[in-house]
Amino acid sequence: MKVTEITNLEFGKMVQAASQKLNQNADFINSLNVFPVPDGDTGTNMSLSLQSGAKYERDADTDAVGALATALAKGLLMGARGNSGVILSQIFRGFSRKLADKQTLTAQDLADGFAAGAETAYKAVMKPTEGTILTVVREGAQAGLNAAKESDDVLVVMDAVFEAAKAALAKTPDLLPVLKQVGVVDSGGQGLTFVLEAFNDSLNGRVAEEGDYQPDNAEMDEMIEATHHQSVQGKLDPDSIKYGYCTEIMVRIGRGKQVQHDFDYDTFYKYLADLGDSLLVVNDDEIVKVHVHTEHPGKVIAWGQEFGDLAKVKVDNMRMQQETIMEHDEEAAEAAAPATEEEAPTDTAIIAIAAGDGLATLFKSLGVTHVVNGGQTMNPSTQDIVDAINGSKAKRAIVLPNNKNIFLAAEQAAKVADIPAVIVHSKTVSQGMTAMLGYNPDAELADNQSAMEENLSAVKSGQVTHAIRDTELDGFDIKEGNYMGIVDGTIKVTDADLLKTAVATVKAMLDDDSEIVTIIYGADTTEDVADQLQSAVEDLDDELETEVHSGGQPVYPFLISVE
Amino acid sequence: MAVKIKTQYGTIDITNEVIATVVGGAATDNYGVVGMASKNQIRDNVNDILRRENYARGVVVRQEDNGVAIDVYVIVSYGTKISEVSRNVQSKVKYNLETMLGVTANSVNVIVQGVRVLAD
Repeated sequence: MKVTEITNLEFGKMVQAASQKLNQNADFINSLNVFPVPDGDTGTNMSLSLQSGAKYERDADTDAVGALATALAKGLLMGARGNSGVILSQIFRGFSRKLADKQTLTAQDLADGFAAGAETAYKAVMKPTEGTILTVVREGAQAGLNAAKESDDVLVVMDAVFEAAKAALAKTPDLLPVLKQVGVVDSGGQGLTFVLEAFNDSLNGRVAEEGDYQPDNAEMDEMIEATHHQSVQGKLDPDSIKYGYCTEIMVRIGRGKQVQHDFDYDTFYKYLADLGDSLLVVNDDEIVKVHVHTEHPGKVIAWGQEFGDLAKVKVDNMRMQQETIMEHDEEAAEAAAPATEEEAPTDTAIIAIAAGDGLATLFKSLGVTHVVNGGQTMNPSTQDIVDAINGSKAKRAIVLPNNKNIFLAAEQAAKVADIPAVIVHSKTVSQGMTAMLGYNPDAELADNQSAMEENLSAVKSGQVTHAIRDTELDGFDIKEGNYMGIVDGTIKVTDADLLKTAVATVKAMLDDDSEIVTIIYGADTTEDVADQLQSAVEDLDDELETEVHSGGQPVYPFLISVE
Repeated sequence: MAVKIKTQYGTIDITNEVIATVVGGAATDNYGVVGMASKNQIRDNVNDILRRENYARGVVVRQEDNGVAIDVYVIVSYGTKISEVSRNVQSKVKYNLETMLGVTANSVNVIVQGVRVLAD
């Protein structure tokens, strides 16, 4: 039998056959998966990618093969999962571009298509790794081109492509050492070979059944994953999970001894719907697969048994999983320094950079909408600030760096952020707080910026911190462990006693116009010491008003501002 | 700044540059990644793909309690599913760090700094 062209009908069958073949063999391909990351998901990924491609192809309203191939490539691109899925999508992207305007495919077209596919696949990678799906497609395509010179029979070309691919696959362990170590062929290459084999079989009429399309295991799993993803959000507390067991069963309809009812989807579904949520029921004539979150996995299993025997049962305790996830998240959150706080969207986001819970609360009480964790010795990156700006979902943003070292990052962030953003150049936390007093929610962004910048000079900022090594700075001989008082960036006092240093710092900051002294004590300082400082300051000048807040900031035992 | 591993014989220090190079190598190994980009693209005005010796400029390594947090800046190929390529970068980077350096990456943030349209 000789075939000189592939029509839309045949192309459609080829694609469906390939999708089925991959689906059937997904587990097998998974077992081969050792490269690039041995996570055993190549088969599933390729299968899901191709299923997406096949769906687009099936839905395409055209009878031109070129257009079908384009639809296939689009579907593959949209549904690409995993490395091999992405590569597969590139192969068919090249394939479809070459053949986009073809009504039917000749033997030469087919060979050209594969060659273009191989070429495109190679282009999208900086360092092609040989011994992978790339090698397989390249050698297959080359054989196809050679065969097309000799023959105009599509079957001959397709067969040549498949055989060469198979041979190339067998050689992959020689090219990629990690494969040889484990003693397997490349999983992605194997997947592609299955696709080509299915094409070949389909063209030769070896795939008989057309059958109704059924949601298959992989799709069901994807659906389950999607459901889980939704249900996880907003249910962070394990106790708040209403239905604690993720229950999955697979029932062979009508089999077994306990069958009491004929299968009826609606009846079956309705009972389960009352048992829990996140319900998914997929069935064909022989099998029904159920996924449900419930408090009564036993009832689900018993219900299933009334319709047939159990082929598979899986029950996970989601509360336990959630606890584990939360522990993990907490660790991660503690470790990741710059964390952004979630807030309801506002028109103008004011983003302050500060370290410590107390400071964050103080800033929020002043009208700051978002606090990015950071400050001295732990500057947030531009990205952190950009994330905070974009994450605020506001229309515009004002950033208070509260540290000179963060100006640059903040300015960069303002440039690349999605919404208009300005920086108020607050060098210290005190300045940042004073700047907030100049903020007017109804004013324009630029007006606010200048008003807030003006306020900066109205305040004197003092910081008390301890020296981490012996040094000489600003004419002071500073010993490790001693305290330093810094006023507007220069060291004014140094002393071994925290309280003395703090009082001296305040003294250095005061002048005739001083009215209000705000003291913010840090994480390592007790309220007692702060109160002592407060009374000491009040003794200096009884006209002064003092305020004491807990800032919880690291590094600085005291942050002082004088207005 | 470096990752310290204590053994009974002493300590092993792995500098951030080494980690950055491994991360860069892992990232560029990925299908769909055409190169690494500078993290300070805007300031440096470097739009180009970094050379191998400059990978560290496209990788930020932050020390954390039980591992590191990685930001990796990449340029990807147009026409690939970029989200998926990025996901692949994450898993490959994490995997390579663990196998090659024994360093745990608590997070791998992929920043797609550019997309390269390749001639067909």
